[in-house]
Amino acid sequence: MPDRWDGDDESEAGRFVPLYILVNGRTSPRDSKLDLATQVIALQVDANRLEPEYVQILNQCGNWISIAEIGAYLRIPLTIVKVMVDVLLEQGYLGIGSPAQQKVIDMSVLDALLAGLERL
Amino acid sequence: MDRTSVKIVVAGGFGTGKTTLVSSVSEIAPLTTEELLTEASLGVDDTTHVEDKTHTTVALDFGRITISPDVVLYLFGTPGQDRFWFMWDELAQGAVGAIVLVDTRRLDTSFAAVDYFERRGIPFVTAVNQFNGQCAYTEEEIRGALELDPQVPLVWCDARDRESSKLALIALVRHAMNRLRVPA
Ligand SMILES: Nc1nc2c(ncn2[C@@H]2O[C@H](COP(=O)(O)OP(=O)(O)OP(=O)(O)O)[C@@H](O)[C@H]2O)c(=O)[nH]1
Ligand SMILES: [Mg+2]
Repeated sequence: MPDRWDGDDESEAGRFVPLYILVNGRTSPRDSKLDLATQVIALQVDANRLEPEYVQILNQCGNWISIAEIGAYLRIPLTIVKVMVDVLLEQGYLGIGSPAQQKVIDMSVLDALLAGLERL
Repeated sequence: MDRTSVKIVVAGGFGTGKTTLVSSVSEIAPLTTEELLTEASLGVDDTTHVEDKTHTTVALDFGRITISPDVVLYLFGTPGQDRFWFMWDELAQGAVGAIVLVDTRRLDTSFAAVDYFERRGIPFVTAVNQFNGQCAYTEEEIRGALELDPQVPLVWCDARDRESSKLALIALVRHAMNRLRVPA
């Protein structure tokens, strides 16, 4: 098994990278703004012409859902979910929320977060 | 559109209680998502014959907590194996910060995580998981062993306990807020 941990992290560092895959003529969006925590939602658009794999994703997006959740529920590797969600966003099938990936998280979000956790 | 995701990373060495902490506070049963990996030596231009190459997967556990109608917190446990650094990079980017779980029986296993967040200036708290309350060390000794900056909060926790895990999250958010007010 190639992914067996052999107790020597140092020498293994960087040996594996995300698999580079072609989806609909597109390649891995390692440089895309899509974060695995970013949430998307299906828009009211006729999806008749989409391939089943894409419809399957849209069906998960009736409510806001993160890219990581889509991957987990549909058992699709993250790299592939990202490319497919990117395609759906580009073609107007999905709406997108604020990516978790902001350089500076603003204080108002942290305030809301703290209050929310204290209420739990 | 108004829908904000926030991330917190739960890191630490092998078996320090990362998955346990995520499960104890998550509103959904923890989910697992996978990333497909391939040997770096293939080179990024090689898109053909993928099926012939050696590849493997790395699993990522995560949970979620709905904070308000438009803010959702995602908690990501880092993969146990330190060699998947690029996954850590993706998880840490834009995160509020990290909880580094520490098992006092094996302090050294969390050193890499402490070092990772320290180097990148990402706010983190250390949460000392007291496996069966048997902690042979004082806070000073743990701080010394992990070479913790005095500013880094250290909390004692039981990752199996929801309240205790929640307090670790609160300690992290407070710490991140302080860091934002007084940039390091
Ligand atoms: N006594 C005690 N046991 C704990 C605590 N947290 C976790 N455990 C136990 O320790 C074991 C490992 O916990 P996990 O949550 O799987 O650890 P992990 O960090 O996710 O492990 P890896 O993903 O393999 O690195 C499990 O059997 C847990 O039940 C704790 O606070 N106290
Ligand atoms: Mg785990």
